[in-house]
Amino acid sequence: MKAMNRQKLISVSTVLAVASLVATAIPAHAAHVGVSRSQIKLGMTLPMTGAASLGYNKIPGAAKAYFDYLNANGGVNGRKITLIVKDDRYVPTEAVARTNELILKDKVMALLAPLGTANVKAVASSVNPARRGVPVLFINTGFSGFADIKKYPTTYTILPSYVMEAKIMGEYIKENFAGKKIGLLYQDDDFGIDALAGFKTAGVNFAVTVGYASGSQSAAAAAGWITKFKAAKADVVILFAVSSATSAMLGTAAVLKYAPQWMLGSVGGDATTIKLTGVPAGVLYNAIGFSSVPATTDLNDEYIKLFSDLYAKAVPGSPFDLNVLLGMNSAFMTAQALKAAGANPKRKSLMAAIDSKGATFASSALVPTGYSKTSHVGLTGYWVGKYSPTGDLAPIGGTYVTYTTDSGTGAVVKSTYKRPAMPAKGLPN
Amino acid sequence: MRKQRLVALLSATALVTGVIVSIPVAANAAPACDGKVPIQSCVGVTSDGAPYAMSVPANFNGTVALYSHGYRYNIDIPAGVPLVGGYKITNTPEPVPGGNVAVATYFFSQGIAIMGSGFARQGWNADSAIKTNVELIDTFKKQFPNTKKVIAWGSSLGGFITQALNEKHPELISAAAPLCMADSLAAELTMAGDFLWGLKTLFDPSIKGSDYAAGAAGNAQSVGDIIKVLTVMSKLSAGISTGAWPDTSSATGKSLAAAGIPVRSALLLLGLMAGVPTQSAHFDSVSGPEGALKLTFPLAVSPALAILENGTNAAILAILATQDVELQTGGVSFDNTKTDYAARVEDERIIFNAALSGNAVINAMLGALSPANPGAPRIVGNAGAIAKLNALHVNTGKINVPTVLLTGVADPITPAGAVQRIVDIYAEQFANEKLAAIAKYKSTRSYVAPVKKLVTFWSITPSKGYTTFSSAGSPITTTPAAPGTNHCNFTTAQFLLVAKTLVHASKTGKLPLHSAITKAGNIYLDSQFRAPWLKYHNQ
Repeated sequence: MKAMNRQKLISVSTVLAVASLVATAIPAHAAHVGVSRSQIKLGMTLPMTGAASLGYNKIPGAAKAYFDYLNANGGVNGRKITLIVKDDRYVPTEAVARTNELILKDKVMALLAPLGTANVKAVASSVNPARRGVPVLFINTGFSGFADIKKYPTTYTILPSYVMEAKIMGEYIKENFAGKKIGLLYQDDDFGIDALAGFKTAGVNFAVTVGYASGSQSAAAAAGWITKFKAAKADVVILFAVSSATSAMLGTAAVLKYAPQWMLGSVGGDATTIKLTGVPAGVLYNAIGFSSVPATTDLNDEYIKLFSDLYAKAVPGSPFDLNVLLGMNSAFMTAQALKAAGANPKRKSLMAAIDSKGATFASSALVPTGYSKTSHVGLTGYWVGKYSPTGDLAPIGGTYVTYTTDSGTGAVVKSTYKRPAMPAKGLPN
Repeated sequence: MRKQRLVALLSATALVTGVIVSIPVAANAAPACDGKVPIQSCVGVTSDGAPYAMSVPANFNGTVALYSHGYRYNIDIPAGVPLVGGYKITNTPEPVPGGNVAVATYFFSQGIAIMGSGFARQGWNADSAIKTNVELIDTFKKQFPNTKKVIAWGSSLGGFITQALNEKHPELISAAAPLCMADSLAAELTMAGDFLWGLKTLFDPSIKGSDYAAGAAGNAQSVGDIIKVLTVMSKLSAGISTGAWPDTSSATGKSLAAAGIPVRSALLLLGLMAGVPTQSAHFDSVSGPEGALKLTFPLAVSPALAILENGTNAAILAILATQDVELQTGGVSFDNTKTDYAARVEDERIIFNAALSGNAVINAMLGALSPANPGAPRIVGNAGAIAKLNALHVNTGKINVPTVLLTGVADPITPAGAVQRIVDIYAEQFANEKLAAIAKYKSTRSYVAPVKKLVTFWSITPSKGYTTFSSAGSPITTTPAAPGTNHCNFTTAQFLLVAKTLVHASKTGKLPLHSAITKAGNIYLDSQFRAPWLKYHNQ
C-alpha cells in the first residue's frame, strides 16, 4: 500500500501537469473546503453533556469567546471564524459519527481540539482525517502515541505528553520526597501506560500503584483505592487521573479523613472543576500540581488578563479556569496558524504553516512547543505549583520555574524558554 | 433473517415460474420456454446439474441481468433449531435478489431480461458457480441470439462470484455489481472461525467447532454446535447485565470470571479479535437510556451487545461453513496456531478500553487466550486441507468493467472490509492506468484520461444512533434491523439504485455522475470512507 501511495502521488502530480496544458475552463479562484470569501469553518467534538463533560464542556465556549473577539476585529484576512461544536459525550462511536458530520456535511476546514485518547484514536481509525488531508489541530489528549507523525500526519498535539508529565513529576519526587513511600492512582488505559512509562524512565519506585478502568470511577471505588494506599502507608499519593476520578478520590478522602501529600496530574487537577463536584477547597491545600500555562488567577500575566476579560464578557458568570484557558489558547494559536497559512488558506497550507512557524507562535504557555516539519509535538513541559487554601494553583516560591523534556528517555531540564510577548491586542500579526 | 430469505426464495420462484414449464431432463439441453407474453419464462439445467431460470420481456432489448445468489447452507437443519431451523437445501434459481418484484419490474420496463441459477451445489461453491454462470450466459445467448450485453450482479457469495466474472470473464459482461460481497473463503472462515474458537475456549469447550465427521454424523455434530452456541449466547445475553459467566464456561473462562472480569468484556474482546462489527441490528454503541446509564451503556455495554447480535450470525456461519469446507477439502481447514490475537486488537483496545475494562483486564484475557495457556488449545489445521482451500478461487480485485459495490458498513457476515479491499486495490489499478495514460501522452502528445470504473455505495447506519429503549430503560430488540446492519440488509430503493446504475453503465460504458445518485436513503458515496479490511489480511 505504501508503494501505491507513492505511485498515486507521482501520478497525481503528473496528471496535474498534463491537465494544466489543456485546462482553460477552471475557475481562477476555486473555493477550498471550509474556506469561503467571508468565513473559515472549524469543527470540534467533545463531551458537552453527561458524566464526562464536567469542565471539558467549557472548552468550546472558551474557544468561541476568542474567535468572537477575533471576528469583531476583522477575523483572519477578512474571514470570520465559525466554530461548529458537536457533543460526543465521550463515547468513541459517537465521536466518529459527529466527526463524519463535521467533515462531510458541515465541510469544515479543520478539526479543532477533539478530546480523549479513545475518541481521537477512534476517529483516526474510522474517519481517517489523515487520508482525507483534514488537519486535526491541538488535540486535548496527552497520549504520546499521537505524536507519531507517520501514523497521524495531520494531527497536532498541544498538551505535553503524559510521559513528559510523569517524568517531570518523577524529577520533583526525587528532589523533594526522597525516601518517602509513593502511591500512584492511574487510569488503566493508554493514559496510564504513558504515565507508567514516564515514571519508569524517571526511576520512581512506587510502594503501591492502583489502576482503575475508565468509567469505573466513583466514590465507592475511591474508598477501595484509599484502603490500598493506606495499607501501603503511602506518604505521597499521585492522582494521575481524569477529573471525575480525581474528584471522587479527594471527596472520599475528605470524608474518610485521609490526607497524604497529594500530587495532582494536570488532566484532573483543575481546581474549579474539582470544587464543582463538592470537594472542599481545603482538601486541595498544599497539594502539588503541574501546569504548562500560567495560573488562571495570575492577572498580572498579559494573556490571563486578556483571556479572562474576553471570557467574562462572552460567558458571564462562568469561572475562568484551566479548561477555559486551554480552549482560548488553542483558538489563539489556530488564528495564528490560519494567518500564517496565507491570504487564501487551505488545509495543506495550514499544516505547512504550523510545521514551519508553529514553534514561534505566541501562546500563553510558559514552555515551548516542538512543532517542525518532522514533529507535531505541542507543549513540552510544566511548572510545579501548590494549591492555596482557596484551591488555586500557584507556583512554588511565587516564581514560575519550568521544566522541559521529551516523551523518550531525554533528561528533564529546567527550561530557558522565553515566552514571546503577546501580539498587539492578542490578535495574530 | 434466514426465514426471510426462504420467503424471498419462494417469491422468486413464483416470479420466474408463474407458469411452471417442464425442466429439460437432459443437462445442458436448450431451455424450455413457455413463449408467453409479455414475459416469457424459461427454465433448464446446465451441464453440471444447476437449475436456472430466465424471464425475458417481449420488448427484450438485448441486455440480460444475471444474478448470483448468496451462500446457502449445505445441510438440512431440523425445524426445532432456533433461528435457522427448518432450512432445507435448495437450488431454486434466484434471478433477482430475494425475488424482488420491483427490481424485476424495473428491468422488464427497460426491456432487460433477468436470469439466475440455483447452482449445482450449495455451501461455498464459487469455483463451480463461475463455470455455471459462464455456461448460462452462453445458453441464454444461444436461446436469444439478439443478446448484446450481460449485466452481472449478486449478493454475498454471489457478489464474490460476480467479481470473479469481472476478473476472469470481462469479455462476457458489460457491467457488474457485487453486493455485500464476501471476501475470500479463507478470510471469511478466519473471521467466523476466530470468533467461534473464542466462544468454545472461554464459554463452552464442548462446542466442537472443527473436525466434523462426514455424512449424517457430521450434520448432527454441526447442528449440535449451533444449539450450543445459541445456548451460550442466551446465557451471555443474561450475563451482560448480571455479570455472570455461562455455567458451561471452561476452566480458563472460570478463572477469568473468578478474577472479576466482566463477561461483557470477554465477549467484546472475542468480537474485536475476529473483526466482528461493533454496531448491530439494534445496538449502535452510541445511544443510552435516560438516567444513570446514559453514558455507561454506550461506553461499556452496547459494544458487547452488538457483538452478541452480530456474533451469533458469525458463529452459525462458522459452524456450517466450517463443516462445508471440511467436506470439500477433506480435513480441518482452520488453523489459528500462529494467530497473534493481541496484535489483532492493538487499535481496538484503545478505542474500546472502557468496555474492555482497562488494560489489566485486557492483558489478562489476552494472556488466557495465548498459546502459552494449555487451557486455551489452538486449532491445528490439516496441511493438505488448507492447501486445497487455498487453491480455491480468490479474487484479485481487478476491475475490468464498470462496477458498482454496495455493502452495509456493519454487515456481520461479509464485513465492509471485503469491499474496502477491492476499493483499495482498484485505487492502485486506477493510479497505474493514469500513469500509463501519461506515458502514452509523452509519445503521442494526446492525453486520454482513463475512465473510472468503480463506484462504491456504503449503506450506513443512522448517525444519530438507533438503539431504542423501553420506559424501564431496557433496549428494544424487536424493531427492524437498522440500515447498514445485518447481512445484505438492503432496501428495494437501494437495489433499484444499483440496478439503474448498472443499466446506465451497460448502455454508456461509464458510471453515472455521483450527483445523479441521490435517491436511495442511507447511501454514502464518500470516496474517502474507510472500513477495516478483514483481520485475515493482517493489514
